[in-house]
Amino acid sequence: MWSKLTATEGRRGLLMVSPPLVYALLLLAFPLGAIVLFSFWTQNFMDVDTTFTLNNYREIIEKPIYFALLQRSLFVSGTVTFVTVLLAFPVAYFVSFHVRPDRKSLWLFLITIPFWTSYLIRVFLWKVILGYNGVVNTGLLNIGLIDEPLTFILYNVNAVIITLAHAFAPFAILPIFVALEKIDRSLLEASLDLGESKFTTFFRVTLPLSMPGLVAAVLIVFIPTIGDYVTPELMGGAGGKLIANMIQTQFLALNNAPLGAALAIVAMLCVTAISLLFVFLNRRYLRGRS
Amino acid sequence: MTDLISLTNVNKYYGDYHALRNIDLTIKTGEFFSLLGPSGCGKTTLLRTIAGFEGVSEGIVMIGGKNMAGVPANMRPTNMVFQSYAIFPHLTVAENVAFGLRKNKQMDKLQKSEAVDQVLEMVGLKGFGDRQAHALSGGQRQRVALARALILKPKVLLLDEPLSALDKKMREQMQVELMRLQRHVGITFILVTHDQEEALVMSDRIAVMFDGEIGQMDDPETLYRRPNSRRVAEFIGKMNFLDADVKSVSDQITVDVAGLGTCTVNAEQAPSGIDTGKAAVGIRPETLAILFDGEKTERETIAGVVDEVVYYGDMTYYDVRIAGVDNTLNIAMKNLIGRPVLDVGAQTTVVWDARSLVLLP
Amino acid sequence: MSLRIYAIAYLIFLYAPIILLPIFAFNDATIIAFPLSGFTTEWFGELMTTKALHGAVQNSIFIAVITASLSTILGICAARAGAMYNFPLKRGILGLVMLPLVLPEIIVAVSLLIVVVQILDLGLSNWTVIAAHVLICTPFCIAILNGAFQNLDPSMEEAAMDLGESRWSAFRLVTFPLVMPGIISSFLIAFTISLDEFIIAFFLTGANPTMPVYIWGLLRFPSSLPIVMALGTILVALSIILLTIAEILRRRGMARVGVKDKGGFL
Repeated sequence: MWSKLTATEGRRGLLMVSPPLVYALLLLAFPLGAIVLFSFWTQNFMDVDTTFTLNNYREIIEKPIYFALLQRSLFVSGTVTFVTVLLAFPVAYFVSFHVRPDRKSLWLFLITIPFWTSYLIRVFLWKVILGYNGVVNTGLLNIGLIDEPLTFILYNVNAVIITLAHAFAPFAILPIFVALEKIDRSLLEASLDLGESKFTTFFRVTLPLSMPGLVAAVLIVFIPTIGDYVTPELMGGAGGKLIANMIQTQFLALNNAPLGAALAIVAMLCVTAISLLFVFLNRRYLRGRS
Repeated sequence: MTDLISLTNVNKYYGDYHALRNIDLTIKTGEFFSLLGPSGCGKTTLLRTIAGFEGVSEGIVMIGGKNMAGVPANMRPTNMVFQSYAIFPHLTVAENVAFGLRKNKQMDKLQKSEAVDQVLEMVGLKGFGDRQAHALSGGQRQRVALARALILKPKVLLLDEPLSALDKKMREQMQVELMRLQRHVGITFILVTHDQEEALVMSDRIAVMFDGEIGQMDDPETLYRRPNSRRVAEFIGKMNFLDADVKSVSDQITVDVAGLGTCTVNAEQAPSGIDTGKAAVGIRPETLAILFDGEKTERETIAGVVDEVVYYGDMTYYDVRIAGVDNTLNIAMKNLIGRPVLDVGAQTTVVWDARSLVLLP
Repeated sequence: MSLRIYAIAYLIFLYAPIILLPIFAFNDATIIAFPLSGFTTEWFGELMTTKALHGAVQNSIFIAVITASLSTILGICAARAGAMYNFPLKRGILGLVMLPLVLPEIIVAVSLLIVVVQILDLGLSNWTVIAAHVLICTPFCIAILNGAFQNLDPSMEEAAMDLGESRWSAFRLVTFPLVMPGIISSFLIAFTISLDEFIIAFFLTGANPTMPVYIWGLLRFPSSLPIVMALGTILVALSIILLTIAEILRRRGMARVGVKDKGGFL
């Protein structure tokens, strides 16, 4: 019986993949379903009312605070993504094209190390760097570039963006690096041979071929940043709070889980829609070229 | 020689895909048998059903008189040399070779290491035992793979394209070594290859496979000289094809060949059961000749014009156009002393012989 | 050349916060700001005597060890299935398992919170944190183990079976030793992620906080900030050591099977 069950490759593969699959179904798919269901319910303190209602969504639409938070969140995520990917590309390019092959993994190792070290403390340290008496301000004061400490770099959206861009840097570098590594170097020589300059070769060959990595980098930065509430909490001040802070508050402080669930769903839908649009536009762009 | 392996009406399906079709074959003890065919023809699948890595959907696989149904690979008296060699990279050469002896309780440590030394010497790797496996060259890996399988003294050694990863020179050297080794150990070898030359050089018998079925099974000479179908003829060596019309069939066959005219061939030059009507005639390039100035022949001749010349050093291949035929005739000529290489467009005389024609359905 | 300068500047940007950690950890002042006032090891001493911290550290290590073990086992299953077999819905299944990699962590946190508290009506404990951590660590483990499994010649196990081993002993004797460095490196990475994870733990932690949740509490009290710096210094040193071991093992694994190194984690 057992050998019959494992007889074919497909069955054996399914059997092999079933533990992680069952785990993901039970602890990911099922909870995601639950959160959708919950968003159509209401809660009064501890009592959950399970009658179907659109009230949570209605409230989100009607109260401008949610829309403002969502808008700011998307703006922050978008900017963080843009800045991170833009800053990361040259680094990935450098490591892939200009670093000796036996040194590449050392560079990647150096790039990933800060990513693995205490996230909370790292975020907090940006406060130290950007603060009133922080590293940046004392430094600039000492060399006489400014007369009094800069205040626009802490407790606002800028500070949130800088900190998040730092936190997600390796996420952006690695996929781009992988895509660049896959490019057959003789393609670049072929392009030079066919009369393109190094500069135009980059735009006509290297960049289009690295597009899958760029897209992966964009998605892997854009989507998770929407869910971060630590950085805005510590760095954002009053005007720098984001939608994730509101979700957290609804769940943990106000005990309004259904509204929090609805907010989480709305945020996810927005992020997914924007991501899909981005992927779609990117495909059209690539197809338009060829 | 007795039958060691017999496959009866073996079929294999992957979903809708019919990978092996009605395979019937027997292989004798001590035989060097080759499965030859283009990629995707099912030859490797057939080898793997003998090894026990694939089950059969229908039919019977017998090895040494025992039905192999339900017998897994590790319980079969077969051992395999994999296309990638599958040398365990974390073990030394000696550990690789001794891998299959782990469960052998009859041999002690010393006997095992002696056996390893012995088989390493046999494959020409004496003194390599302590080397790390991943530091070996392609040819050396192949020898380790051979040694690892041969040490278990299998009834059948299965070789899955064992020479395809080697360069041309190494391949030719290993062909000879494999034949010598096979004669030395006397074990049945089954070789899978897509290289017709390799199969012709090494095998006692060859099964040519297409689309999951065996097209023809014969010794190399018969296969080359008397292919039973156009696709076998095309796959093995070069062959010129001419349209033909069979006029009468008795002890001898009268056939009207396009461009050559009516001629008579013996019954063995045609597949059994051939009937009058449309057919094809195959002629090997080396059985045709060009009549150079000053040479004479008793055989048939026909006028032609040189269409293409390909010079190989020892040989020159000519494509010659003759009247009444659309395609050209490919002719192989040895570059003997005093023979010029003709130019394209040269008027020439082609020599042919009815005894070298093969009638094909 | 200018690219190299840019890359080095970028590395400095990446390391800027981490370099500050030990500076303030040994600074003899309660305010985390320049100028520095003097050298002290007082804050490290205080770490030793803070009972609540010890409890949090123990909790976190317990969670991290279990998380790392479970997610590595799940990772082995998925990586092996992905590398060696074709099966129906392969892309979709592996996509679902890898999904937490791109899912905002807060979504994982709140959805599990709802299921555990509202639907199953269970209390929060270390196990709820473990459940979520395994979910987010498994994709990383798969990514690391993929490297190990994909470099493996699929004929290798067949060769072992052909030489008389059973399916299981073929895995034990051939595949397992070859992917062992990947397994250890996957374990260490999962351990590091779990030890450091805050966003989810904050939602799902029970009566006993994990270390990051405890640190979060400390961050609100300015007087305890130097202790956080000292703790952070130790943590950074520890994760650098663990990651270095993971990297060395990963490279050794690559060398063992004789493949060329193509890059780091992920």
